[in-house]
Amino acid sequence: MKSYHDIVGDGGSRVLEQVAEQRTRITDGLAGVRHLVAVGSGKGGVGKSTLTLHLAGALRARGLRIAILDADFNGPSQARMAGVEGAVFVPGRHKVALPRTKNGIGVFSMGSLIPESESLEFESAARGESQTWRATREFALLGEILGAFEWGDLDLLLFDLPPGAERTVQYADYLGPRTSFVLVTIPSEVSRGVVARSVAALSKAPFDGAQGRPDGAQGRPNRLLGYIENMSGYYCRDCNAIKPLFPSTRPPSDLAQGRRPDLEIACLGTVPFDPELARHCDDGVPLAELPDSPVGRALDEVAQQLLDRLETEPHP
Amino acid sequence: MKFLCVPCDSPMKLQTVSPPASGSLSVVYSCPECGYEMAMLTNAYETQVVQSLGVRIGTAESAATTEGKCPFSAMIPGNQGVRSGEPFDEAQGGPIPMRWTAAAEARLANIPAFVRPMARTGIEKFARDKGTLEVDDKILDEARDFFGM
Repeated sequence: MKSYHDIVGDGGSRVLEQVAEQRTRITDGLAGVRHLVAVGSGKGGVGKSTLTLHLAGALRARGLRIAILDADFNGPSQARMAGVEGAVFVPGRHKVALPRTKNGIGVFSMGSLIPESESLEFESAARGESQTWRATREFALLGEILGAFEWGDLDLLLFDLPPGAERTVQYADYLGPRTSFVLVTIPSEVSRGVVARSVAALSKAPFDGAQGRPDGAQGRPNRLLGYIENMSGYYCRDCNAIKPLFPSTRPPSDLAQGRRPDLEIACLGTVPFDPELARHCDDGVPLAELPDSPVGRALDEVAQQLLDRLETEPHP
Repeated sequence: MKFLCVPCDSPMKLQTVSPPASGSLSVVYSCPECGYEMAMLTNAYETQVVQSLGVRIGTAESAATTEGKCPFSAMIPGNQGVRSGEPFDEAQGGPIPMRWTAAAEARLANIPAFVRPMARTGIEKFARDKGTLEVDDKILDEARDFFGM
């Protein structure tokens, strides 16, 4: 009797064929993007979205062509922070034009489509059992977005990932080997511990190359560019000084004894918290419209480090 | 998933797909050798897994779609009601409907279902603000320029 692999095709259901077509649409749509960079963490509440937006602003200020895809479909924040909450989606000749910030950063965020008072819900034949299909549906949505919008020629497309170490790995698997990762932590040891787990998970090969995949891709670890330490103190405008937000980190001897998680990837920089910047985020005011500040300079240094690592860090 | 006719040792071919009803999809396969037919009846979970992949079973001609409509259209502000400044049709008791040319409709149909309601609403408002009740290629291109895209 024939086995599954003896039979060519799928008898006409075309499911695999359509999945392959989706992949092709995504690949074609991203052909003009030089670097795909996913900003994740594993830990929630460390400022991934804020950093992503301001990093995009710092890169844009250098004249680079930048877009952000807010991949946190269930808790989108980029639309409000980037000032594209009420964006109008205009059908182009073949795809949808990407809403842009005042300073020319392309932004897709579910927050432009769904009011903040609503949660993201999908039509479902299996309502009440979303644990069985929800992640699959969300990645199909990501595929639709990647395939349907005009990304055009970009220097960097930044993905603002949702929290969760396992989610970070799922996005790595979906986005594939072209994508590089930047992880965000805060100085707390709890946060560093969670991010260390993400580093460990991303450093493993996503699948066994000996078994292979239907698309023929070979397994290899993900490309980790480094981490950013956010909220590394806070900027006091009254004193014009950076003050501590978290207790001083433990001495290196604690690291040797395993009490302080070592992230084992490069640090791209530290960024202090600026209450004024947070207020501007809520109002959708871009970083470029703020006066020169230590936070702006820190972000600019991170942007430089990121660009250097993109050019020099080899793909695993 | 593939189906094999055991007596013929021959792969079965998809014949028809019925639209999901009460969460179940009916897919009929037949053996090209002996003509034997069988139906695969999915439960709600299986139906949903296929829907979640964003694919439909079979070709557009032979299959009932399992996807296509906006998955969360109920949550997106629609076109109901009359907004301030909209032309009002006294006879119909509602806003004067916008006309979309075939070319503009084709462009709208070319974008994902989940963006369409928002795009239609935004474009129609833009067109009304421009003093027209028709959306055509020119309006779409003007909107693109206006919104800095």
